[in-house]
Amino acid sequence: MTQTPSYALDRHVLVSAVWLPGGFVALGLLHHGFATGAAGWVLAGFGAILACFALHVIVNAALGAHFTPQEVALSFVLYAVAGLALVLAVLLQPGFAEQFFLPVALGMAGLAAGVIFYLVTRWGARGAFAQFDIIRDNNPRKSSELPHRGGRS
Amino acid sequence: MTPFLLTTLAFFAAYGIYLAALVAHQAPSPLAFLDGGGNLPGWAVIFAGSGLAVAGQGLGDHLALTARFGLQASHLGLGLVLAALTTVLIQKRLWLAARITGLATPADLLARYYQSVALRIVMLTLSALFALPFAANLLSQAGGVVEQATGGTIGHAAAVWVMGFFLFLTAVIGGWRATVLVGAVQAALIAALGLGSIVFAQTMMGGGGFPQVPLPVAQGVLADLIPGVVQYSAGLGKSQPAGGIFTAVGIASTALAMLGVVLSPAFLYLGITARAGRTLGFGAVWIIAGLGGAALVIGGPILAVRMGAGLGDFASAMAQVEPFAGLGLILLVLTANQLVVALSVNAGTLLITQELILPYVVPGLQPLHQRLAAQIGLALAYGLVAVLATFAPLSSAILAGLALPMAVQLLPALLGLCFIRWISRSAIITGLIFGVLFVAFTEAFGLILVEGLFIDLPWGRWPLTVHSAAWGLGVNVAAVLLVAIFTHGGAERLHRDRLHDEFAALWPVDFGGKGAQGAKWSLTLIWAFFALGPGAILGNTFFSQPIFTQGPAALGLPSLWVWQILFWLIGVPLVWWLSNRAQLGVTTDQGLRRLDLGGAADPVHPPDWIAVGLARVTGR
Repeated sequence: MTQTPSYALDRHVLVSAVWLPGGFVALGLLHHGFATGAAGWVLAGFGAILACFALHVIVNAALGAHFTPQEVALSFVLYAVAGLALVLAVLLQPGFAEQFFLPVALGMAGLAAGVIFYLVTRWGARGAFAQFDIIRDNNPRKSSELPHRGGRS
Repeated sequence: MTPFLLTTLAFFAAYGIYLAALVAHQAPSPLAFLDGGGNLPGWAVIFAGSGLAVAGQGLGDHLALTARFGLQASHLGLGLVLAALTTVLIQKRLWLAARITGLATPADLLARYYQSVALRIVMLTLSALFALPFAANLLSQAGGVVEQATGGTIGHAAAVWVMGFFLFLTAVIGGWRATVLVGAVQAALIAALGLGSIVFAQTMMGGGGFPQVPLPVAQGVLADLIPGVVQYSAGLGKSQPAGGIFTAVGIASTALAMLGVVLSPAFLYLGITARAGRTLGFGAVWIIAGLGGAALVIGGPILAVRMGAGLGDFASAMAQVEPFAGLGLILLVLTANQLVVALSVNAGTLLITQELILPYVVPGLQPLHQRLAAQIGLALAYGLVAVLATFAPLSSAILAGLALPMAVQLLPALLGLCFIRWISRSAIITGLIFGVLFVAFTEAFGLILVEGLFIDLPWGRWPLTVHSAAWGLGVNVAAVLLVAIFTHGGAERLHRDRLHDEFAALWPVDFGGKGAQGAKWSLTLIWAFFALGPGAILGNTFFSQPIFTQGPAALGLPSLWVWQILFWLIGVPLVWWLSNRAQLGVTTDQGLRRLDLGGAADPVHPPDWIAVGLARVTGR
């Protein structure tokens, strides 16, 4: 599909229509889980994020688009911040590890698994790895462009 | 909760302005400000249109009515299925007519199809009614919600002006496209918050909810029964119907009034400016009838049972359990009101600009200046709305009460344009005159006017528990049929036939064979009779005291609620059937041929009285 500026804007708004309400619900669930010490709610919060990610993938598929570099960068930053927050909380917050480490770690692992599942189903195992294979980009050879070697044109 | 609420509101306001700036940056031409280029993305029209159809009924009002009148009021949720049916019936043909004739607004279409200046004036008046008092009433309600939620820290007036200013900023920067895109995001937020609030209230609030706890209705009102088919009441303000105002006929007539939202200028304009595709049917079937109907029919009582002293108290109670939940409920009502205000004011202003200002008051403007004219119009409109909402909330509420029933009076005119070629201009004008008069004198506006100036009338608002929309529409349709008998032919008919011949040649509606056609109409009428008409009275006891049994059934749920859910479940596939099988929900721009209805591209001269009046003011 043609990626005109107007088309890209329409897609951007649709993605916002997924993440703004979903993000609000996820924040509410996570907040309730942390405030009441209920692991189930924390997991439900991560579930809401995963559901938003699935909807985002569906939007991409419906509009024939891919994740934009900005979206990928933002998600990596947020994931890294969440990981760092988890580590700091475990180290500095007494009792956090006993109460929340398992649900938060499970939730983050679930998110990572969701992304890996998407990459594998979208690009195939070799193609998914190729998305991150920077070394090969640094040493381009003709043979690496062959389709059966996961080549990129 | 105050800082939390204000931060969230500021975030969403900033996001709206950011989107509007992106839209403005990418606008292909200044004229796209007025109609979004006539090419709005289908998904955005689905979301924004469905949001308008549901939120336009007044979510806060619906919950308050359900808390006060019980299941007889929440029965009105089934009216959304009727609204979806009407959307499917009208919007495709209206979209096609706009594309075939090259006319950009619903007023232009109706006026040129019926060759009537009066219809243009009616449409402009209706646009102003929705853009000013209707919007002001909702903005005033939103201001009240903010005042209550912040414990008076933010006053009503401050809330009204700040919200109005940010809505204006979004509109004035991005125009119609930004309005619809932001509306789409708001509609998604409404859906998520609505479902979240219902689930949270039922699972987390404790103390038992509906149906274990009966609805806290006013004294003498039947909480889970419809109080008869009809009651011979003089009307609200004169006598109080026993058991509640929503009799079966009251429900049917109020459901008719709910059609006012989907027949409003904003909704019609939204449909006309959409891109071709299957979006029309999808939005009507699954979001308006499906999701919206379920939210009002199933979720309404669940929320209303906990309303207590009002929405603010309920939100506070929710916030004590989880701050995000309390905030979510407040945001739900505020977002719903803001969505309707933005779409009504912006569509009304843009329509008046295109229909009145640009062709008649300041003709011949360059595209850039046309956009400027619309932006000045938006500034004036939002200023007026904020003034009305702040200083005349009661007058706004009284005038707002006219908007939906008045819009319903357009139904014969729109059906004539879309399907019934023998409906003539005289028939429509006569019907409209009688319909509008009957609406006015069965609503608070007419009653206050006459009783204040002249004499006490023997009837009040909604006599015989029949909503003003139905009084008006009944008389309107009768007048249309009567006058059309004598005026259905002639040269005027030939003009109307041109459009219908085009429909018949290239865009026939496929209702199937004789059997399928009969089934579609008869099933729809049967559904309407039992879901919303007099047959709904059977729902009072149908499941709690089944026929052919000796004793009552221990259902654990009110029989009427089960009846409502059942007919919602039947209604959604019915709309789907009409939408998909009859292809009423699918639009395509393949093979469109241009038809000139007489003067869309003609040079337009201002009428003499406008030109003379303007010359006196400007000295030209």
